[in-house]
Amino acid sequence: MTTVEENSGPVTDPTSDYNIFDQEFVRDPYPTMSEIRESKCPIAHTDRWGGSWLPTRYEDVVAIAQEHEIFTSRSITVTASPLAQTEGPYSGVAAPPITSDPPDHHWHRRLILPVFAPQSVAKYEQGTRDLCNRLIDGFINKGEADAGTDYAQQIPVRVISAMLGVRDDMADEFVSWVRGVLEVGLTDPVVRLENRRKILSFFRRELEDRKKNPRQDDLITDLLNSGDKYPVTDQYVLGVCNLMLVAGIDTTWSAIGSSLWHFAQHPEHRKQLRDHPDLWPTAVEELLRAYSPVTMARIVDRDIEFQGCPMKAGDRILMAFPAANRDPRQFENPDEVVLDRQHNRHVAFGSGIHRCAGSNLARLELRVALQVWLERIPEFSLVDPANVTWAGGQVHGPRVCRVRF
Amino acid sequence: MCSIAAPEVFGSDELGHATVLIDGDIPANVQAKVRRAQANCPEDAIIIEE
Repeated sequence: MTTVEENSGPVTDPTSDYNIFDQEFVRDPYPTMSEIRESKCPIAHTDRWGGSWLPTRYEDVVAIAQEHEIFTSRSITVTASPLAQTEGPYSGVAAPPITSDPPDHHWHRRLILPVFAPQSVAKYEQGTRDLCNRLIDGFINKGEADAGTDYAQQIPVRVISAMLGVRDDMADEFVSWVRGVLEVGLTDPVVRLENRRKILSFFRRELEDRKKNPRQDDLITDLLNSGDKYPVTDQYVLGVCNLMLVAGIDTTWSAIGSSLWHFAQHPEHRKQLRDHPDLWPTAVEELLRAYSPVTMARIVDRDIEFQGCPMKAGDRILMAFPAANRDPRQFENPDEVVLDRQHNRHVAFGSGIHRCAGSNLARLELRVALQVWLERIPEFSLVDPANVTWAGGQVHGPRVCRVRF
Repeated sequence: MCSIAAPEVFGSDELGHATVLIDGDIPANVQAKVRRAQANCPEDAIIIEE
């Protein structure tokens, strides 16, 4: 049950047969999520794509995230990777700490947290601002641009390259590899494996280079040299590089893209931020809530009944953070973007021990990318709303999003 | 999040975990900010003692 042919076909009842790769769901998942959430079956199930559960209420998603011993992170992709056993030298490389369970999770996470602390990511602000300005310089005189591919897509990949200390002329390759893993690869295991190999062999060479030529203030060098404190292996360091690329690019790019797509259609919100720049912190959180890009997965450790659902060991659960973040039980007028929303305990970055380690960096990139755009291009609109294309599944956001200004 | 909402009261340690920077009563001029930090803490980890 892994090919597009086997899994497409019309959905009659999303509570028992949802399809996260259905074109309509990819474009606009919120009506279906709402239908499931308000049905008698707010934790839906499907047999498509290898089978999964889909909790849609805030309370259930958070409860599952907190119960990390029952709902493990052995696999976190929204579809199974049936070729994982055939990978040869890379078969054991995961993406720590997101794929780690306790007890290793603790040190897997601890080692990378310092680079993502607010005071550490602050040093990327000016560089991100300069990058955003350079990108806009490239198209501002044309009166039209693709807010997705010309802008949103270009930003996180370069910030992550800088953090990893790798050449940023690899940006296009990185983007293509990550899309191979996170977009096309979710429904095509061969594409997924091929792109995963490209990522891992690239970083394998970077690791070998750092061993021969250690660098100062370099994440890969520092991780390789942490063996005195923790049982660090090459496989762990390779896994962290893999995670930073795969988790750090598509996600933030999607959040930037969705936010620009929103602003293109809401001049009143552009004006509100222009008149009240003090709203930026709450505005960023609100855009993260309303357009949460990421859905992660958990694997059930042992047979258990959860909220009346008979879950079996090995079952996959899709952590529908975007659905949780629009639950009216938790958020007033959840489908409305309220830039000064006062109560916003959103779970765009997840919850519990796997809460996104890079959230401070993502917030910074999102805020700076939007601030620079709105400073330089205060008035803009979609060229054709029907021609915006979307990615979905693991990460939801616009890809081609042409705007005119 | 709290260190963005109320930087006068919340900071972060070298791991990025939130810390409380003040001891005792919350100054009146930042109380609204602290309440906002509480209302937005994704882990529901802030308790204000009245």
